[in-house]
Amino acid sequence: MRLCLLLVLVAAAPIRADEPLPAAAAKPLAACQTPNNRILGPRSADRPLPLLAGDPQHGFHAACTVPWSTLSPRNEGLAVAECFQGSLLRLDNSSACGVVTGPLWVGSRWVLTSADLNRTASRQATCQQLETGAWAGTRDLNLTCIPQKKPADSKADSAAPAPAAPAPAGH
Amino acid sequence: MSTLPTAPPPGSDARLPGALLRSLLLAAVALFFLNFNILGTASPSKRFSQDLVYAWFGNEAWLYPRPTQPAPPGAAPGRKVVVVMLNEPALALRGARWPVPVQFHAQFLAELEVLKPRSIFLDFLLLDPAPPEDRCELLQVGERLRAGGISLYLAVTEPADLALLEVAGCKNPQGAPIHAAQVFTPVAVQRQADNSDFVSRRYPFEQRAASEAAGSGLPSAAVRMYCDATAAPAPCLARLTSYAAPDAGFDLAWSPDGDPFNRRWSNAPCTPDISPARAIFNEPVLPRESPCPPVATLFADALLSPDIDPALGLDNQTLFDLAQGSFLLVGGNFRGSGDLVTTPLHTLLPGIYYHGVALQNLISFDGRPKVRKEFRAPKILFYLYDLMVLWVLAAIFMWRQRVLARSRPGEHSPFELSAAARAWLAPFIARYPTPVWILGAVLLLLLMATFRSLQLIAVAAIVVLLIVVELRVTPSAERHERLRALWLYLGAMALSLAVIGVAIWVGYAWLRLPPGDWLGYLSFVAFGFFVAHAAILEFGRRVDELHVARHTG
Repeated sequence: MRLCLLLVLVAAAPIRADEPLPAAAAKPLAACQTPNNRILGPRSADRPLPLLAGDPQHGFHAACTVPWSTLSPRNEGLAVAECFQGSLLRLDNSSACGVVTGPLWVGSRWVLTSADLNRTASRQATCQQLETGAWAGTRDLNLTCIPQKKPADSKADSAAPAPAAPAPAGH
Repeated sequence: MSTLPTAPPPGSDARLPGALLRSLLLAAVALFFLNFNILGTASPSKRFSQDLVYAWFGNEAWLYPRPTQPAPPGAAPGRKVVVVMLNEPALALRGARWPVPVQFHAQFLAELEVLKPRSIFLDFLLLDPAPPEDRCELLQVGERLRAGGISLYLAVTEPADLALLEVAGCKNPQGAPIHAAQVFTPVAVQRQADNSDFVSRRYPFEQRAASEAAGSGLPSAAVRMYCDATAAPAPCLARLTSYAAPDAGFDLAWSPDGDPFNRRWSNAPCTPDISPARAIFNEPVLPRESPCPPVATLFADALLSPDIDPALGLDNQTLFDLAQGSFLLVGGNFRGSGDLVTTPLHTLLPGIYYHGVALQNLISFDGRPKVRKEFRAPKILFYLYDLMVLWVLAAIFMWRQRVLARSRPGEHSPFELSAAARAWLAPFIARYPTPVWILGAVLLLLLMATFRSLQLIAVAAIVVLLIVVELRVTPSAERHERLRALWLYLGAMALSLAVIGVAIWVGYAWLRLPPGDWLGYLSFVAFGFFVAHAAILEFGRRVDELHVARHTG
């Protein structure tokens, strides 16, 4: 229990503005570290809640957008079944989108949790840094190789571009 | 200097047209040299001067009236530009990694929908294969945003790129098929840079081949987004894409000051200490880096996780105040991605700021951004405007010369040493053998050339020394005469500055010329150019005399 309290205190400690923390992994994940965390309601009543389906192993995808009343018709708190990276909260609901989608998740940006209320108030944002360094090296292009020697009857295939993942617009 | 036309031609003293014509001739010579650029050597200095203007005065409303404050809560949302920066931590929060998957874009669009922006621009080229279900998901989310009144724009290399997002059988909840062209407006993201130094000062109106007609290309992102937000998008687009040159673009005004919103995450002050005074003391005149960019920037990880920026509010009010009704430009901030732009302030920024600042320019200048003379039509009218300005300046110069010639014949500059001062200085220096004083002078000049900090001190010391000598040795009557000439010089210079001020105002506000196209006027304030090229007037006077002689027999 003492360890839990210590973790909560560490998570809630304000971050100094002059100490840049570039990686999300370095952030305290308060929502995931608070025991018995519950979703109390939407942060702003007039905005819809974007829901995601999927799971951390297979990836998330946009499911639907619903008002809070759809998730909690009687405006009661909802249990957090699971938590991912401190920013995604799994609901114990898989049919809020009208069809069965599997586990549904909501971003902690859009809902207020008991962990938010327990946290020490902080008005400081994490320092961010623009990546403006030029690097003379290739990074993570994830290209699939095309064999140099191919059967004679597959000329059409060899003309196809090598598949690669999307890249930021560089010009 | 001996050829200065201090005396009017015989018989033409009262001929005002003659004086006007001679000043016009001098102005035409000035115009030629102002635009003399055979080897392209003038371009870098012209563009660098423009950069300095923006570095020093870019935060002044008269030069760049950009809105920096979000609309107050409850007020009608303003037309604010907000960059939403995707980064590695944001991808990690959703279990994704760089390169940004299409699946993530779909999720992220759904999150942005909550902010109720006016429009969203994705500065990602979605060219590479992605699973059909992910592409369909993106189209479905996009269609929902469109239906909710949020315009969506996607970066493409050509309109056909949208076909790569098509998915057979992708339908909306009502069962109707969805096509990429219904969801996304394709926009060009081609970047322009000046050939002289590769700085991206210009933003293209559209992307088209040289053989295609003006207005037939793919509008650039900022241009399309701006025009779509106006009451009459079609005329706006037609006007902004009417320039004949295929590489026509508008010059970007930049501010050295960062957007106040960025203070929350920037590790540096958003108002850098950049002023013209620093140039005098040989200190850096341009910002070294831009840790606080001029467009409000919301990092995607701060949007996805309230832990990153708790100050956005428990009720997200700060977030909504920033983004509601805004133009959201989604770009990438990934180490080593290479999508960087060299800004006119010579700092590197992620490429999305190129579009952000361009959109800010269009909004700030009400859709009438600054366009260089070389892209304008008819081009000659803008050079005619230059000629008119130089004509007035040449007339002021010639008026000063005439007044000066009347009161002090034979002397032309109030800054020349008087005969008395020269008579005092020469014997003083003559105490030393010629090799000694020449070598001493050479050594002094060598040291001044080598150590820049000495230059200011040495120039100030020499000026003070010469003034003291003049005050001690020059007769009182001559001192008064010289003082009068000095006042005349300063008066004429002030008059020239006033003329240039008006010319700059007309050129910038009305003719929409960027600073590079009117800064050259300032080189004519001190009359040095006119003095150096006044020989043409002497030549003109002789020709005039010959002409009069021929007709009078």
